[in-house]
Amino acid sequence: MSRRERVLIDGAGLQARLDDPRLVLVEVDERPAIYREGHIAGAHCVDPRRDLQDPLVRDIAGPAAIAKLWHRLGITRESSVVLYGDKSNWWACFGFWLFRVYGLRRLRLLDGGRQAWLADGRAFDRDGPRRHSVALTDVPRPRRRADLRADRAAVAAAAQAGQQLIDVRTAAEFRGEVLSEPGYGHEAAQRAGHIPSAISLPWERLVGADGRILRDAALRERLAAGGVKLELPSITYCRIGERSAHTWFVLHEVLGAPARNYDGSWAEWGSMIGMPIAVGD
Amino acid sequence: MHDVPELDPPPCAREAVAAIRGELGTLRASIDRIERRLGNLEAAPGRPSAAPPRSERYLRVLVEVYERGGQPGVDSETLALIGRSHGYDRRGLGGFFTGARAPLERLGDRVRLTPSGEALMAAYLEGAAE
Repeated sequence: MSRRERVLIDGAGLQARLDDPRLVLVEVDERPAIYREGHIAGAHCVDPRRDLQDPLVRDIAGPAAIAKLWHRLGITRESSVVLYGDKSNWWACFGFWLFRVYGLRRLRLLDGGRQAWLADGRAFDRDGPRRHSVALTDVPRPRRRADLRADRAAVAAAAQAGQQLIDVRTAAEFRGEVLSEPGYGHEAAQRAGHIPSAISLPWERLVGADGRILRDAALRERLAAGGVKLELPSITYCRIGERSAHTWFVLHEVLGAPARNYDGSWAEWGSMIGMPIAVGD
Repeated sequence: MHDVPELDPPPCAREAVAAIRGELGTLRASIDRIERRLGNLEAAPGRPSAAPPRSERYLRVLVEVYERGGQPGVDSETLALIGRSHGYDRRGLGGFFTGARAPLERLGDRVRLTPSGEALMAAYLEGAAE
C-alpha cells in the first residue's frame, strides 16, 4: 500500500468498507448544520469550534477533551478512522491533524469530502451515527506529539533563520490588501500582510476543481513551481489553521515531507504587539 | 464604523505602503462585518427583514451550490442543472446574482455563495433543524 493509500481513501473504497465494524466515520464541517441535510451512513458529526478547540483558552482541545471525544465517537486502538467534511475538507483536515497531534494512527481522509461523494452520485442518509459500545479503557490515551505543531516561538525562530514558511491564504491576504476573505471578517487580525520570509502558496493549488487532492506528480510540480523544497522542513499557516492543515496534510501525510502546522496562524501573528510583518509580493 | 484617522507622514515609502494597506484592510473588514450582520438579520426567520422571504426552492439552490461546489464553487453547467432541478431557467438563475446582497457570485468560471448567500443558507439549515 502506498503512502497516499494509507492516508487517503476514495468514495468507492469507503463505500466498500461501510459495514466494517472497525470503521469510525467522522464528518467535520465548517457549517455543522449541513450534516443534518444528510451524511455518509453511520458518520458522526464533529463541530470543530465546540469539539476540537478549548472553550476557554484559544488553543486546541486538551487531552481530556480529546479522550472524551474519542470515547463518544467510539474510537479504540483497533479503529480505522475516516474523516471528511464540507468546503473541500478544510476542517476535516484540521481534525485529521489534531488527531495525529494526539497520536492517533489509523487515520484516513475521504478525498474531496462531501463534494466528491456527491459528485460520484453516492447516497447520504439521515439516520444517526453508528453507535459503538466502547469502554473508556479501550480508548487510546491522547498524547501530544511536539513534532507536528508549530507555536509562535518556533515560527519566529524559523522566520529569523529564513526557514520555509508557507502561507496558504489567498494572494490578496498575503500581499496585505485584505485582512481576510469576504465572509471571514470575524477571523481577521489587526494587521494585513504576511510573516517575513514566507512564500505564498494558496491551498487550492494542490486540489482539483472537484476538491480532490492532485496526484503526487502534479503536487510535486505545483509545489516546486511555488518555491517549496520538499526536502526542507516547512511550517504551514493560514488565518486560523484549518486551510494550512490541508496543505500540511498534503506535505506531511501524502508526500512524507517534514512539515508542521502553525494553528495560531495569521490571526495570532498579525495581532501580536511587536511582531514583524511584511507586505506585498 | 469609526472614523479613519489621518495618517502621519511616514518615514519611508515602505512603511507608508504597510500603513495604508493596514488601514485599507481594517476598512474592508468593517464592511465585511457589516455585510455579514445585515445578511444574518435579513436571513434569520422571525426577525424584521428588508428582504422578501425566500422560497424553499430558492434556498435549496443555495444548499446545492454549497454542497456540490465545495470551496472552489460549481461550474456554469452544474449551476444550470441545479437550477433546472428546482424550476429555474438561465434567466431565473440570473436573479441570484443581482442586488447588493446577491447570494451567488462568479469567480472566473466558477460560481459560489457570497457571504450573504452563506448566511441565508445557514439560517435556512438551522431553521430546518429546529
